[in-house]
Amino acid sequence: MKHVKTLNTCMLKNTLKKGGCGECQTSCQSACKTSCTVANQSCENK
Amino acid sequence: MIHKFSMNGVNVVMDVISGAVHVVDEIVYDIVDSYEEMCEEALVVKFADKYSEKAVREACEEIKELKDAGMLFVEDDYTNVLDMVGKRAPVVKALCLHIAHDCNLKCKYCFAEEGEYHGHRSLMSAEVGKKAIDFIIKSSGSRRNLEVDFFGGEPLMNFDVVKEIVEYAREEEVKYGKNFRFTITTNGILLNDEIQEYINKNMHNVVISLDGRKEVNDRMRPRAGGQGSYDVIVPKFQKLAESRNQTDYYIRGTFTRQNLDFSKDVLHMADLGFKQISVEPVVGQEYEEYAIREEDLPAIYEEYERLACELYERHKEGGEKDFNFFHFMIDLSGGPCVAKRLVGCGSGTEYLAVTPEGDLYPCHQFVGLDEFKMGTVFTGLEREDIRENFESCNVYAKEDCKNCWCRFYCSGGCAANAHQLNGSIFKPYKIACDLQKKRVECAIMIKAKQFQEEC
Ligand code: SF4
Ligand code: SF4
Ligand code: SF4
Repeated sequence: MKHVKTLNTCMLKNTLKKGGCGECQTSCQSACKTSCTVANQSCENK
Repeated sequence: MIHKFSMNGVNVVMDVISGAVHVVDEIVYDIVDSYEEMCEEALVVKFADKYSEKAVREACEEIKELKDAGMLFVEDDYTNVLDMVGKRAPVVKALCLHIAHDCNLKCKYCFAEEGEYHGHRSLMSAEVGKKAIDFIIKSSGSRRNLEVDFFGGEPLMNFDVVKEIVEYAREEEVKYGKNFRFTITTNGILLNDEIQEYINKNMHNVVISLDGRKEVNDRMRPRAGGQGSYDVIVPKFQKLAESRNQTDYYIRGTFTRQNLDFSKDVLHMADLGFKQISVEPVVGQEYEEYAIREEDLPAIYEEYERLACELYERHKEGGEKDFNFFHFMIDLSGGPCVAKRLVGCGSGTEYLAVTPEGDLYPCHQFVGLDEFKMGTVFTGLEREDIRENFESCNVYAKEDCKNCWCRFYCSGGCAANAHQLNGSIFKPYKIACDLQKKRVECAIMIKAKQFQEEC
């Protein structure tokens, strides 16, 4: 494409399949703790 | 739903539902908002004084291609994910152990009121700690990885008990097929070689607290006697970070209304040699003089942008001066599943806090608020109603989040802040939202710039 460059392919929809197993770390976003943006967490169910 | 922004010379259009992120030129950036409401002919007319007919038609063609590929204007059908999540058997997989409700600093913004948490000074006993380990093993179902965070007040003020709990957990994890990951959060005052060695051997992660430049840190984080803490802790932290090869730790700070130029504090920490840095806005009631106000937002946005541009440059250069800023890290292609993004931090359900006395609360920030006490490590969870309330508190249960473009990045914010500022875990704290959104944009801008370079 000339006008658009896509950074990523649509991953979010694809995660529906394996979704929600819950093995990943919890993710407190508050300043006093891990303060992690959820989007930056890793999935343990690859 | 789409969201678009322009920063540091890049135009970004995000498709909220699919998660696709597009770097676009000016023409697509201009017409994409109107694309769904207007036909191509109308768009040609609307933009006639800026772009040629050919250019508009070409841009429309590309937008259509993305739409057909499910990467733009995707419909939201994620609410059904919630049924799936709801059907999971409740498990607890993380505990925050309040090892010491006592502290040797007197940080002015401390939500724990200098470690006392609306109560009195107290230390957790090994007995309570071991019961907490039993409790999480019993409550974790088939979940193998369990997290335990040693928190305070200042956990090093009760370090022998930390060691006893770790030792006990290591024995029990073998019996039950679990794997404990420990984290400790410390202000560093009591850190010494022996403790450092123990931490490096046993703790998966360490969170150390520093607010940045000496004058900034010492203003907000004085010692009990009023003198600053910077000179005591910085050398210890530098040594600790090096001894962990600059990974699996991070140095975290808080910025307030009194250092809105916090990018200098972040860079100061980077210049001290720290590679894993996290600096967050303070949360406080408007009447506190350090609290962030609505009117401060434009200045903070600018500051975030400045920091993001600098970070991008340092990443590009690599080497000595490069570092990670926690809130500008984003994984656009991997990252958690939709289900996880909808439920967020797991407070009150998967994650609980334990007081020195063994009482259970939805998370460390609810500790001491009687109406949130959920049970004890001796008796187990007794307030199913509280658990259910937190479980139901997902992105789609919150008016503000439901249609927010940021919902799959922020997961509905912090329930504790929502409760503290708005009296309801379902009503996010607006200033935190505004800043969160800005940070996500900064993070994406960095990715987009890096991507452009590769092209
Ligand atoms: S409610 Fe807030 S402070 Fe508590 S665990 Fe969640 S994000 Fe962290
Ligand atoms: S491990 Fe991955 S799939 Fe499982 S809940 Fe976490 S993010 Fe979702
Ligand atoms: S930014 Fe605020 S409104 Fe948007 S999803 Fe996060 S908490 Fe909800």
